[in-house]
Amino acid sequence: MEKTKQRNISISGSGTAAGGDYDQVKVNGSAHINSDVQCQVFKCNGSAHIEGSIKTGTAKVNGSSHIEGNMEAEEMTINGSTDIDGNLTCSEVKIQGSSNVKGDLKGKEIIVRGSASIKGNVSGDEVDVKGQVKIGGDCEAESFNARGNFKINGLLNAGNIDIELLRLCEAKEIGGENIIVKRSIDSSGFKKLIKFFMGQQTDQLTAEVIEGDHVSLEYTHAKVVRGNTIEIGPGCVIERIEYKQSLELDENAKIGAQEKI
Amino acid sequence: MENLISKKDLLEAANISYGQLYRWKRKNLIPENWFIRKSTFTGQETFFPKEDILQRIEKIKNLKDDLSLDELADMFSPSPTITSLSADELTKRNIVSNTALEMYNNHNGTTSTFSFDQLLTLYLLDTLLQTGEMNRSEGMELLQILQHHSNEINGKESELIFIRKMGVSFFILTPEPAKLFVESQTKIIAHYKLNQCIEELKLKIS
Repeated sequence: MEKTKQRNISISGSGTAAGGDYDQVKVNGSAHINSDVQCQVFKCNGSAHIEGSIKTGTAKVNGSSHIEGNMEAEEMTINGSTDIDGNLTCSEVKIQGSSNVKGDLKGKEIIVRGSASIKGNVSGDEVDVKGQVKIGGDCEAESFNARGNFKINGLLNAGNIDIELLRLCEAKEIGGENIIVKRSIDSSGFKKLIKFFMGQQTDQLTAEVIEGDHVSLEYTHAKVVRGNTIEIGPGCVIERIEYKQSLELDENAKIGAQEKI
Repeated sequence: MENLISKKDLLEAANISYGQLYRWKRKNLIPENWFIRKSTFTGQETFFPKEDILQRIEKIKNLKDDLSLDELADMFSPSPTITSLSADELTKRNIVSNTALEMYNNHNGTTSTFSFDQLLTLYLLDTLLQTGEMNRSEGMELLQILQHHSNEINGKESELIFIRKMGVSFFILTPEPAKLFVESQTKIIAHYKLNQCIEELKLKIS
């Protein structure tokens, strides 16, 4: 069957549109869309309020948008702010402004350069955070890179976990193959600026349990750390360590008990 | 209470590392509800249902060289893979016996291709017939109950129980794992976890 050419919506100024099937949806002023939208390209330069779900190929939000349903896209860039009341499913998502997702976030490549808050679970192949991220549930990825601040209320489960701490980072449990936690070494203006605004807070990671094959920690407070090879650097306070092969301890680390299994 | 094994003992017993366990969890090879958290004197510890997890890990270790982790996840997931097989293929590849197929066709009319749900029904029928514990008329009743409730048991941890007392037999189908106590003369002839049957069936088909 031949596909009929689909229409576009373009709202410049302020307007209301019904949902439906479109090719392109562009908002340059303020828009209100009444129901679900399906399109190839969704672009919002002003503010948009969608009373439903969006399914699109690419999405770009430069202003602010509020989606009451789910968001599904191949590729999504958020430069302004976006609130999604449902789930966000996207193979490539880049959050450069701020965003709130009340459901789960699922994607292949998840890049956060600003701040993101997800109430549900996060799962992806690659999660890269330079900024701030809050996750209400679990976070699962093949690789998890963070240069900044994060708070994960559930389990952080990733093959490679590479963390450079900034201020108080938190995860309930951490598990994976290679886990590296370092205090960020760069003393560039950026960090000083943040410290100036946010107050002096020490860089530190808090977790209840950390389990991995190779674990290397700095400035980490944990109840239990378990692994094959463990390196404990300066600033760590750990109640109990269980290791299989090797354990290296920094002299400035406080360790409760250690046991070779 | 089921027999539980702590994470530490499990790694020892199965000879795997933390990394492997977490990777398999990430790939959904190990169901979330098998991770049972309990507080112990060393803080939070995770426990697993011992038999289930050891069996599962053994399977993963045996199959992981031949199948990718994603394929394995498909196999372990209780939701059916979308496959259909023709009747010819079923008998040719020896997935079910001719007798079972014949009974199924008698009950439902002849079909040439089977969906996964139908395959599962056939497979259960065949397995029970093969044990010699179930006769043909009971087989018909089994077909009836499975077809009647196929929607309710899909994608859940359903179990099939076959009981007999003084020659009277009946089937019980539960959408959730069940513990059963029966009278002294009653015999539990079969107690199948459908998830395991699905796994076995998927293995046979693939």
